[in-house]
Amino acid sequence: MDQAEANEKIVEALQKKKGKTKFYFNDLAKILDMKPRVAKKLINKMVEDQILEYWSSGSTSLYGLKGAGKQAAADGEE
Amino acid sequence: MAKHKTPLLDQLETGPWPSFVSDIKRQAEFRKANQDKIDYQIPVDVCEDLLGVLELSFVHRRTHWKHGGIVGVFGYGGGVIGRYCDQPEMFPGVAHFHTLRVNQPGGKFYTTEYLRQLCDLWDFRGSGITNMHGSTGDIIFLGTQTDQLEEIFYELTHTLNQDLGGSGSNLRTPSDCIGQARCEWSCYDTQALCYDLTQEYQDELHRPAFPYKFKFKFDGCPNCCVASIARADISFVGTWKDDIRIDQEAVAAYVGGEFPPNGGAHAGRDWGPFDIRKEVIDLCPTECMRYEDGKLEINTPECTRCMHCINVMPRALRVGDDRGCSLLVGAKAPILDGAQMSTLLVPFIKVEEPYDEIKEVIENIWDWWMEEGKNRERLGELMKRQGMQKLLEVTGIKADARHVQEPRTNPYIFWKEEEVEGGFDRDINEFRKYHQR
Amino acid sequence: MAFVSSGYNPDKPMEDRITDIGPRKYDEFYPPVIKKNKGKWLYHEILEPGVLVHVSETGDEVYTVRAGGCRLMSVEHIREICEIADKHCDGHVRFTTRNNIEFMVDSKDKVEPLKQDLLSRKQEGGCYKFPIGGTGAGVTNIVHTQGWIHCHTPATDASGPVKATMDVLFDDFTDMRLPAQLRVSLACCLNMCGAVHCSDIAILGYHRKVPMLDHEYLDKMCEIPLAIAACPTAAIKPAKVELEDGTKVKSVALNVPRCMFCGNCYTMCPAMPIVDDVGDCIVIMAGGKVSNRISAPKFSKVVVAYFPNEVPRWDQTTACVKKMVDVYAKEARKYERLGEWAERIGWERFFEKCELEFTHHLIDDFRDPAYFTWRQTTQFKF
Repeated sequence: MDQAEANEKIVEALQKKKGKTKFYFNDLAKILDMKPRVAKKLINKMVEDQILEYWSSGSTSLYGLKGAGKQAAADGEE
Repeated sequence: MAKHKTPLLDQLETGPWPSFVSDIKRQAEFRKANQDKIDYQIPVDVCEDLLGVLELSFVHRRTHWKHGGIVGVFGYGGGVIGRYCDQPEMFPGVAHFHTLRVNQPGGKFYTTEYLRQLCDLWDFRGSGITNMHGSTGDIIFLGTQTDQLEEIFYELTHTLNQDLGGSGSNLRTPSDCIGQARCEWSCYDTQALCYDLTQEYQDELHRPAFPYKFKFKFDGCPNCCVASIARADISFVGTWKDDIRIDQEAVAAYVGGEFPPNGGAHAGRDWGPFDIRKEVIDLCPTECMRYEDGKLEINTPECTRCMHCINVMPRALRVGDDRGCSLLVGAKAPILDGAQMSTLLVPFIKVEEPYDEIKEVIENIWDWWMEEGKNRERLGELMKRQGMQKLLEVTGIKADARHVQEPRTNPYIFWKEEEVEGGFDRDINEFRKYHQR
Repeated sequence: MAFVSSGYNPDKPMEDRITDIGPRKYDEFYPPVIKKNKGKWLYHEILEPGVLVHVSETGDEVYTVRAGGCRLMSVEHIREICEIADKHCDGHVRFTTRNNIEFMVDSKDKVEPLKQDLLSRKQEGGCYKFPIGGTGAGVTNIVHTQGWIHCHTPATDASGPVKATMDVLFDDFTDMRLPAQLRVSLACCLNMCGAVHCSDIAILGYHRKVPMLDHEYLDKMCEIPLAIAACPTAAIKPAKVELEDGTKVKSVALNVPRCMFCGNCYTMCPAMPIVDDVGDCIVIMAGGKVSNRISAPKFSKVVVAYFPNEVPRWDQTTACVKKMVDVYAKEARKYERLGEWAERIGWERFFEKCELEFTHHLIDDFRDPAYFTWRQTTQFKF
């Protein structure tokens, strides 16, 4: 799977989820239907390209579309 | 004059132990005086407001911090913990008060030159308050504002040749004991292995793709000074296979009272003269030692390397020559099913560069855990859920009596079809020829 | 203050970016005597509390003076450490895993001036800046978590009770009168960032009240599925709630008996605060260890279910810790760790000797392993 296809699949799948904007890594790997260690490269790139962003509880990390979610604004401090 | 009155905290400025309150006040004064004319990048009174909010917590007996989802610098999913004060108007200096985790050097050795560089950076761009060190082992920079995070990272990487540590669902910053650098008991070079694996797995450390946190800790011997067996998903505990090296003359010197037992650790009380039988031979958990006619003998195959005799007589007994480490896996502290201790997986593995054998075990475990682990499930919990057998299967390690404390007490073995001759498919009609319905 | 750029360009975050370089390499920072003798050490000896000598097969010696420290440390304090290390140790210093500072010198005559220097430095209120000790059969520094200074779910402070406890245990930090080493740890909630679960004595913050539900704001501030997923016991479920003014909002409901007071929901959902002045308390655990010496590593056991958060000095907590240490010092055999002693005499005797009340809260009722901690023999002591 190339990067563009991965981007499209993930963005589409995440936009469809109602009321939920933060996802575990394995949720993303499942969308790509890939083994986690392989999916990681594509997902890392999506963060670098600012399509996805991280959110962390300190102990657990989550992924979301950039800017999405109720806590995004608060965390932006504005 | 202090900005906030702190009558409760002030009561922690007496007594012999160092006072963190006095220390923070000192930093507050230092910032206020600003003799070096530093162009502080976060509020000058940050330390005063920190004391103020802490005093308020002492009054309310409740924290005044909120969590924030900030994770790191650009492209990193760990290394920063977001914090906000829930009384920002009262304490504007700490309204945003994020933490950075900075990956500590092995053995926590420093030059003052380097420590001062860290101090100068943190003074300039942060609160000037640190933890030396955090529980996992990192240097903790406690409290800065969001716009400083990238700046600090840029200076760390460009000027100090220094990276951040881990947080979140990452490989957490690995940490090691002092090891061979200054300990005669260390069975492998903990710092070398810790550093090599930290460098090898930088991507795992910075970009979260695990179900939850994952910790490596490196103990040079079974004394476990960094507590790897209690808190690491993979505990690397040094051990050896051959004879404990005995210097009989030194044994005699202990018996004769020339050398203090246990390296002098018990000098604060008169325990009477050293009694090798009572203090060493009789306390050996495997009874594998004999002391007769002034000669100490150890029946090596029966020894479980608990370190007691070596700890008591460090000048007479030394760890063997055939050294390596044991790998134990799955420890964790809190929640779900309660605390878990690490479980022995690899009784002995040589610790030699480039550590390929060790990396193979690690990566097999990760492949399994990343695929099968539920969200927020530690390795030890997955082991519990899917069984030790599964762990052995995915790592290709053969079951061994060393893997258990005792064999199972129930016979409820889940035989797999392929393990039973002829499989599970049977002909009911053939059976009925001999057995009526 | 004017913003001073490091050189980082926020419009092009990847420009000149350096990543994945890891920590500084350990051997850059070794003192010369360590570099030369690494892997060649023959033996060590504790010359007096807080002072060690390690002897190498090359004949070299390194003398270490161990000083206690607050893990919460200002850069001015670190600069003072640097000043001492420059003066006595050729610019080298290290820290231990238990927040002690180790100053190393390469000959014995350098030890005394170093010690004098360390002990002469006091804070304004008279506290030592660098108390010497923490070796051998004594109490070493407490490892701990953040508490009220930085954490969002603590059930107690960390630095405060640590200071209070170390003041009470100070004589055992500077002495070696105990039967074996005694490790005290503190974690400010049951998430145990500090992994206190295998300590001779553990001080643990614990919440006793379930989180509050800020219904009016919950759906605005939080993602409800995340709050639900955060709960380790599946005690949270989605719910429709009618506010006092009659408006209906999406929120959550709590299965109260299932709550184990971990605060994970609050981390994910700030509209579910858990901290409480009365509810939050201290739990005392005892008898754990990590060393494999003589007996296997063990978990600490809960010996006190509740002490209130008594600011500023946690009097009942520190008195209880001190009592346990003193009874252990008097009763245990040489080399016996606190947990080994308690197991030898029996926990019923431990409670009696330490004058602790045994209550129903101390009987395990958490999941399967609880059963194996109940007494299943006729062997017990009256």
